[in-house]
Amino acid sequence: MSMIEFKDVEKYYGDFHALKDINLDVETGETVVLIGPSGSGKSTLIRSVNGLETIQKGQLIVNGQDLADPKTNLNRIRKDVGMVFQHFNLYANKTVLENIMLAPRLVLHRDEAENKKVAMGLLERVNLVDQANKYPSTLSGGQQQRIAIARSLAMKPKALLFDEPTSALDPEMVNDVLKFMREIAQDSSMTMLVVTHEMGFAKQVADRVIFMADGQILEDSPTKEFFEQPSEPRARKFLSQIVH
Amino acid sequence: MQELIQAYSWINLRFLLMGLWVTIEVSVISIGLSFVIGSLLGIIRYMKLGWFSKIVGFIVDVIRNLPLLLIIFFTYFGLPKIGIHMGVMMSTTVAMTIFESAMIAEIVRSGILAVPKGQLEGALSNGLTMPETLWHILLPQAYKKMIPPLVSQFVSLIKDTSLATIIMLPEVTFRAQTIYAQKPQAIIPMFIMLALLYFVLNFTVSQLGSYFDRRMEA
Repeated sequence: MSMIEFKDVEKYYGDFHALKDINLDVETGETVVLIGPSGSGKSTLIRSVNGLETIQKGQLIVNGQDLADPKTNLNRIRKDVGMVFQHFNLYANKTVLENIMLAPRLVLHRDEAENKKVAMGLLERVNLVDQANKYPSTLSGGQQQRIAIARSLAMKPKALLFDEPTSALDPEMVNDVLKFMREIAQDSSMTMLVVTHEMGFAKQVADRVIFMADGQILEDSPTKEFFEQPSEPRARKFLSQIVH
Repeated sequence: MQELIQAYSWINLRFLLMGLWVTIEVSVISIGLSFVIGSLLGIIRYMKLGWFSKIVGFIVDVIRNLPLLLIIFFTYFGLPKIGIHMGVMMSTTVAMTIFESAMIAEIVRSGILAVPKGQLEGALSNGLTMPETLWHILLPQAYKKMIPPLVSQFVSLIKDTSLATIIMLPEVTFRAQTIYAQKPQAIIPMFIMLALLYFVLNFTVSQLGSYFDRRMEA
């Protein structure tokens, strides 16, 4: 069953054609990595999956609901589809623990004791229990990003979207975040769509790699095939520039 | 010297202080009401709720660009023509509330806009509704940023209550005028006393503001 399905999707910013004829199917439990040069539309594509960007044409069906339909309740989609951002976007006015507990409390009405147990469990998984009562601004980027991922997981989502989760991190922080993402990907029921430049991560974790340029999907291949023999010349060129 | 002491006689001072109390009453009520109304208008305009927000935005822009004095004339001289009669105190308070609500609406709206967009996107992606996002994430951060502009708006409101001398509201400036109208020698001592009273009042308000600002920073 597909979790995310783009059918002939078009997106414009004014005159700029940001997404061109996008057709893409992400099955439940799949991990798909999206790569491409900057300005290729990767972020726009992933942000449209939970309605942060609106599409102008086509159908975008996420968890059984069509985002192109104005009657679709975005909150219901977002409840099941978490998102992790390049700049973490933790709530600046809440402690780490409150960051994780807020949405489950408000949206899922999770019992307070249970909520805290889940949140502390997640902090334990990322080795940040001792930071529970601190504010995000006092933590390193790597810590903040792991907490942001924990915040998304606390909602027990069916799918997670990652928009360049390690691009704003110092190199020594990247591995902790990738390690956590690899663990999450091992859960066979979790669907993951990841925009990243981390080719090592893509090789290890992705079921499929999508290559985008100029708002189009140029290649959509199983990971091994993509890295060994990319069919698209631009993908080949892109890989030669970033894989050493 | 003799004249100075006479100008600051207990009777005169008491008369002035009663006026200061009127100033404070009008200010406190207007500040309270316009904070609530202005916040609502600012939030409505921020949320872009179609024509509703556009109409609110238009009204706010119109009021912000009118002189407060005109609004005071409107509530005191204009409204009675359509059958709404209010006393001087009420007319002033209503006029100040209308004007200040519009000013505060824009402070609130720009305060919310000044919160980094990632906070909004993070909260929405986390499943929160727009009202929940506003209440739990955006407004707490916005009000923190808004303390300095809000305080200076409140200070100018307090000073602007003196405009109501024109419709003879017996506030502190009006009473000073009453005193020196009878005794022209008292004119300088009265100005000095007025300056002192306004300064103490407004300085207290801005110190209070800085205190909250520091406390929220901590």
